[in-house]
Amino acid sequence: MDWQLLLGQATANGLVVGLLYLLMAVGFTLVFGVMRMVNFAHGEFYMLGAFAAYTLVVKLSLPFLLAVALSVVLAIVFGSLVEWLVLKPFRKDELNGMIATIGLAMILQNVALLTFGPDPVSLPPIATGASTVLGVTVANSRLYVVGFALAVLLLLYAFLRHSPVGRGLRAVVEDADIAAIHGVRARIYYPLGFGIGIGLAAIAGALMAPLFSVSPFMGQTPLLKAFMVVILGGLGSIPGAAVAGLCLGLLESYSTLFMSSSTADMLIFILVVVGMLAFPRGLIGRGEA
Amino acid sequence: MKAHAPQFLAAALLGGLALGASAQETLKIGALVTLSGPGAAWGQAMKNAAELAADKVNAAGGLDVAGRKYKVEIVAYDDKYQAGEAVTVANRLVFEDKVKYLIGPTGSAPTLAVQPITEKNQVLTSTLGFTNKALSPDKPFSFRPVITTYEIADPQIAWLVKQHGVKKAGGLFPNDESGQVIARDLEAAYKRAGGELSAKEFFERERVDFVPLLTRMLARGIDTIELDGNSPGTAGLIAKQARELGFKGKIVRTGGPATAEIVNVAGKEVSEGMMVHAVLDASQPAMQEYIASYTAKYKVAPNGFSPSYYDFTNMLFESMRRAGTVSDSAKVAQELGKLSNFEGVLGKLSWTGKESYGTDHQLAVPFYVAEIRNGVEVVRARCTVAEGCK
Amino acid sequence: MTTQVIESKLSPVASAPAPAQRRSPWLVPAALAALLLAAAPWMSGQFVLHLAILACINVVIVNGLSLIDRCGQLSFGHSAPVALGAYGSVLLASGTGLGPVVSTALAAIGVGLVSGLLGWVILRLRGVYFVLVTFAFAELVRLILLDAAPITGGANGIASIPPLQVAGLVFDTRERFYALALGAAIASVLLMVWLFRRPLGQALNAVAANPTLAESTGLSVLRLQIVGYMGGCMLAGIGGALTARYIGFISPESFNTGASVAFITMLVIGGRKSLYGPVLGALVLTPLPELFRGAVQTQHIFYGAALILILRFLPGGIAGLPRLLHKGVAK
Repeated sequence: MDWQLLLGQATANGLVVGLLYLLMAVGFTLVFGVMRMVNFAHGEFYMLGAFAAYTLVVKLSLPFLLAVALSVVLAIVFGSLVEWLVLKPFRKDELNGMIATIGLAMILQNVALLTFGPDPVSLPPIATGASTVLGVTVANSRLYVVGFALAVLLLLYAFLRHSPVGRGLRAVVEDADIAAIHGVRARIYYPLGFGIGIGLAAIAGALMAPLFSVSPFMGQTPLLKAFMVVILGGLGSIPGAAVAGLCLGLLESYSTLFMSSSTADMLIFILVVVGMLAFPRGLIGRGEA
Repeated sequence: MKAHAPQFLAAALLGGLALGASAQETLKIGALVTLSGPGAAWGQAMKNAAELAADKVNAAGGLDVAGRKYKVEIVAYDDKYQAGEAVTVANRLVFEDKVKYLIGPTGSAPTLAVQPITEKNQVLTSTLGFTNKALSPDKPFSFRPVITTYEIADPQIAWLVKQHGVKKAGGLFPNDESGQVIARDLEAAYKRAGGELSAKEFFERERVDFVPLLTRMLARGIDTIELDGNSPGTAGLIAKQARELGFKGKIVRTGGPATAEIVNVAGKEVSEGMMVHAVLDASQPAMQEYIASYTAKYKVAPNGFSPSYYDFTNMLFESMRRAGTVSDSAKVAQELGKLSNFEGVLGKLSWTGKESYGTDHQLAVPFYVAEIRNGVEVVRARCTVAEGCK
Repeated sequence: MTTQVIESKLSPVASAPAPAQRRSPWLVPAALAALLLAAAPWMSGQFVLHLAILACINVVIVNGLSLIDRCGQLSFGHSAPVALGAYGSVLLASGTGLGPVVSTALAAIGVGLVSGLLGWVILRLRGVYFVLVTFAFAELVRLILLDAAPITGGANGIASIPPLQVAGLVFDTRERFYALALGAAIASVLLMVWLFRRPLGQALNAVAANPTLAESTGLSVLRLQIVGYMGGCMLAGIGGALTARYIGFISPESFNTGASVAFITMLVIGGRKSLYGPVLGALVLTPLPELFRGAVQTQHIFYGAALILILRFLPGGIAGLPRLLHKGVAK
């Protein structure tokens, strides 16, 4: 078989999946950076984003883009509320905060189970057919998703770099105490940081919803991937999470070409564990040890 | 009011007498099924089918065995498709609820885990699990009402290879006990039919992105994708993503009824022309009646495995009538094993399996190869375990 | 003595200076209640026995988790040593023909060695990083068990595991196995109590409270944590071996992240600070699914809410209740 073509196809596949991991991981690391909390419920927010898109598109017949935008807004609001009402006592309390998010995850997943039932549901596709570029075939729906995801990332970048609120958020992630001295108010930034962090997860869920099916259990795997990406990229480092997310997507895609899926999974796990031990600050070196 | 009172009183008295005369006992039948997580669709179908059969018999005044009437009650618990949970549920059903007959378990692993308990306590089980270890001569109380890949693969694949020229097939399978068993059986069947299952990929059950695996598989030059072994939703996703990758060959599913869900997930365009294994022949009147009553009560179309359980529950009732007892499960099991050419909604049913498992506790149901046209199954060949597909 | 005098002078509450005096009115009734509770399953039927056995095995496993927690590190992958102990003892027995007891002991030692090695590598990490790595490691173990089908049976698992046999006494009835499980549970609690009275236990406490300070007083934090980690994993391995011999069937699915989360839930709800926390957690949470069996989702929502509420308002878990009540009463 033509190896160049195969590699090209694998690269395209890997980049699409890598974008998903990127969105999940950046949100995850943002939450950690702001609140020093490992959010075990991150995957459930991904799932909720997907269900929000599903409900808006299938039950209310809204166009897809509008549904995604609405889902994100809803997610940010919901996330901020959750942080303020439930997680406030655990800010800065790493271990207990983690366990609290486990409890949160259990509640969210089972509420979804009660509301939607255990069977997967699907959305109508946003586009049909596929395009072939340079011999590599990518489904049109995936191309659209990549486009939207890139748009989201650009927005995020602009927000963090240029808006005063965004800069404040980055300051809190870098060093919360110094930020406080400069007048950055924790009361706003904690809920906001959490809201945006899980909002990114919700966007990922909403964007991926038409590609894969939507079920209350769909958040487990993205959570695990988010863990691995931030371990590689460094907890608390946004650029680290971004680069590591893409790398993981590509790595998975290439390794599946050469070996069976489960062997690939195992190797990647081992790599991640070794990577964490060798580079505690993350491969990019900007995380916190 | 006053004028009607004496009539009401009389009616009440008569009604009371009538009830008193046929003092109804309750017959509890347990359902050890998967109601959450993967496999929930099947577990739910099993429970619903049994309840439908119970409803029918109760509406006719109860199950009449040796002159006594019994109200049939289905007691269902969820085993979450996990062996450990299944054991706890089995403990509860056998020792607390004291049932002697079980619908289920749904999965192979839970079945193997609970069989030591059910066999020791003479409790009948009716597994959906495809593992060939579930039936054996030293498990006289274990039965299987659904046919497995082992029984249907050969005739169907032989027909597909002959009629449609399938040569090199590839399949994606979940990395669990059913997936592994089915992959093994399919490989053998393709070889015997003169074709080849040249690509087998296993994946973690929760996976939703199959593009990397499909890329790997398509690179081997297959002409057919085999969807058997996957849950209905997953099968739909695989088909959809394969077409998105530009796969132009055949897509078949030689086992596991799932057409409605596949069409739902993959869309009518992708599923057009798929050759699938079908258990229902919707043109038969008995089946139409079953579908109608199932849909009326549960508001969804019946899953392909549910008619097997509807028929099995009725066979159980018939065995109890012939044995003259509901409490002596050993006698009932014996009568059950002796039933042959039983009229069910699936057709004429008999037991088979001695060659493969050492005991005739596998239900031989007729089945079909169908083509999906515009989202609906159209029967193209009729098959039986004994005679193959025509 | 001096401390007691100071305490009694400082507390506005009239005397009752003594923890000793405070304990005695409760000690005898509590012991009686515990005895009754322990004996009850033998008189209550097969299903209750089944739940009691599972609860006792959970006590052993969660005590292991508690031991690791008391070294200052929380393991989010406790299902891994349980799985290794289960598979280890079964495979050793079937592969080498050694008796079940010997292979269980050997498996426990094996788990100890593996976790010692692993601990030596990963215990250098702190807090959240340790958590993530243990999580990842547990998933890795599950994947390996799933994939090594020729040895482990893969997804099919291993069925028809022969029951335990000690000197001709076969543990194949629930009554007998309950005696065994109860013994193991009590032994694990006694072990914890004994350990934390000794210098080693004190050292572990010191390490957990303030690692830097402990290091500066000459204690080797890493070595102590490795010892604690090994001990905790061995207890888990023994629990796993017992599970295998009782249920008679093991598969990788029984040892997934859900199991790890369940153990943490039991520890936290029972009480992380108390030596009886694991017992309370296991006792309360093992039978609970049976009450909820009709409504699985509601049950999990309840767990999640309970976790959050306990962390927030009752950090001592259920074991912390008596102290809270006492404070209330003493006022």
